[in-house]
Amino acid sequence: MTLSRRRFSAAVSAAVALPGFISRANAQGSTIKIGMCAPITGPAAEQGRYAQTGARLALDAVNKAGGVLGKKVELIIEDDQTTNPGVVLAFSKLSSQPDMVAFIGSIRSTQVHAMAPDVLKVGKPVMIGGTDPALTHMGNQWLFRFRPNDSYSGSVIADYGVNTLGKKKWAIVHSTDAFGTAGGNALATALKKLPGATVALDQGYANQSQDFTPVVLAIKQSGADVLGSYFTFENDLGVFARQLRQLGVNIPWVGSPSVVNVSALKLAGPALYGTFGVADYAEDSSPASKAYGKLYRDATKIAPDNQSSWTYDAMTILCMAINKAGKTDPAAIRAAILAVKGYAGAEGEYNFDANGDGLHGYNIVRNEKGNIVFDKHVESRS
Amino acid sequence: MDLALQLFFTGLGIGAVYALVALGFVLIFRATNVVNFAQGEFSMVGAYLMVVFAVDLQWPYGWAFLAALAGMALLGVIFNLGVYYPLRHRTFLPVIIATIGASIFLANTVLALYGPAPQVLPGWFETPGVQIGPVYLDSQYLLIMAVTIVLVIFNFWFFEHTLLGKKLQATSQDKEMASLLGIPVATMIMLTFVYSALLGGIAGILVAPILFVSIQMGATIALKAFAATIIGGFGDVKGAIIGGLALGVIETFGAAYISVPYKDGFAFLVLVAFLIFRPQGIFGERVAEKA
Repeated sequence: MTLSRRRFSAAVSAAVALPGFISRANAQGSTIKIGMCAPITGPAAEQGRYAQTGARLALDAVNKAGGVLGKKVELIIEDDQTTNPGVVLAFSKLSSQPDMVAFIGSIRSTQVHAMAPDVLKVGKPVMIGGTDPALTHMGNQWLFRFRPNDSYSGSVIADYGVNTLGKKKWAIVHSTDAFGTAGGNALATALKKLPGATVALDQGYANQSQDFTPVVLAIKQSGADVLGSYFTFENDLGVFARQLRQLGVNIPWVGSPSVVNVSALKLAGPALYGTFGVADYAEDSSPASKAYGKLYRDATKIAPDNQSSWTYDAMTILCMAINKAGKTDPAAIRAAILAVKGYAGAEGEYNFDANGDGLHGYNIVRNEKGNIVFDKHVESRS
Repeated sequence: MDLALQLFFTGLGIGAVYALVALGFVLIFRATNVVNFAQGEFSMVGAYLMVVFAVDLQWPYGWAFLAALAGMALLGVIFNLGVYYPLRHRTFLPVIIATIGASIFLANTVLALYGPAPQVLPGWFETPGVQIGPVYLDSQYLLIMAVTIVLVIFNFWFFEHTLLGKKLQATSQDKEMASLLGIPVATMIMLTFVYSALLGGIAGILVAPILFVSIQMGATIALKAFAATIIGGFGDVKGAIIGGLALGVIETFGAAYISVPYKDGFAFLVLVAFLIFRPQGIFGERVAEKA
């Protein structure tokens, strides 16, 4: 037999390509792969590190307990650069690998919106932390939320300010991205339902503002007696909080989770003393939250916050669901996640509804001289 | 009226920061005919150096400031040798691209060394500010304005009344003629980079106690400063200062009286208006082709 040129090149290409196929087949067999889009660079890179830590802590626990479907779980992380194009690119890099079973997406609503069409195309479960209510109400069955959404935070902030603090005249300050706008709207809607409550000022601002003097002066002029806020970035919150105090505004302030998170406390310091925040994660709110707090502190030596607790819960529940489903088929995993009821996670008790929302209540915490103190848990009525 | 005074003060404060960074843009542009897109990163690096010396190493503030400035001077030299010098005989485009590359490199180097967490840098003064009548004067903003005034006066004296300043001016006006007259052009350009790095660093260090120290602090300031240089007249020192101050005041008033979310828009709206109706800026001369 003579070796034709065509046969020779076919043989060479096979020889070159075969090891790749074999190693891929091996990889497919040996581990369960979960992809994660997290900000490694960009403005949220610090929070991204917390999120990765949370997911890894859960991963270690799962693997120590025998993994999923008898295999080790592997977490593959791509940088979303804290931008919308970045998250789309990161997700497409991850989802192009056929052996990815499921994904952990972003905590930022705007990014989840950006990646949502691709999620629908890929058709595999994506765990999210973005709190824009629309995310689980726009017909995308593959998004599962591990934080309470803003329709609940809005009603809890309104309820606490009006019924517990007894304040009726509100100033609302929110960023103009998807998270801030949705949050501001949710709070305004919730206030409309409470008798006597009025919105004196509804003020949006663009992210990464260097100066909040106009906003603070508008609050002052509105005569509001309570402030509700939805800040996306902690450095904006820090600048705002300091200018608010400098210009003499000292009305009670009930804010979205960023008011009580670790980086905001470090940046704003005393300017945030005495504020209230809705927090999906509060260390003293339940035994499971306490246990997670200890685990996180032991691993990192810093205080835990929601940036890591949601990915911890997402990873734990996802692995639990795959085990329960008994296979890596996306529809089976989806059914198993939606069947989770009464599971005590770090963030609270998970009871998934048909939309894919796992949590339905918030903790109210207050900042006592820099320490976050648990006040009470409010389950939303809306 | 009280409201307007407060807004005016804050606007001038933030405008002074734009002005300082804009000054760095202009000086390098005049000396080399290129726009240094890493000027904002100079501010960021300056602020981080200050965090290293004043916060991490706990040096006294004054010494930490001098050490940070020394670091910035060194950065200016390295930047000149590594980014500008190898490309000096090429057209302006490769140099501009190189400065963009350098700015990405600087931002990611700091990210790798220092991590992504924003840092807190205490202000120069213990008291955060003073209340004068209805207006609250932030002590850091007062300091920024004072430093800007001093630097503008120094700048004028240095370039108009010292031999070194005149050599620098000659270099920026005509390199060939300057070198025929025995002026060491390469050294003069290096000095310009050093001076611009110092200006950028000072702006970063001054603004850090207000805006915190973060990787992206430089980019936001530089974009506004760049707009300020165009409004003032590209290449004009007076223009950079006036442009910066005007931009700060315009965006603060625009935010207060028209719309907060579109605050950044006002700066660029003014920029677009200038580009259409007065492209040479406030102080710029009409550009004509040289014969």
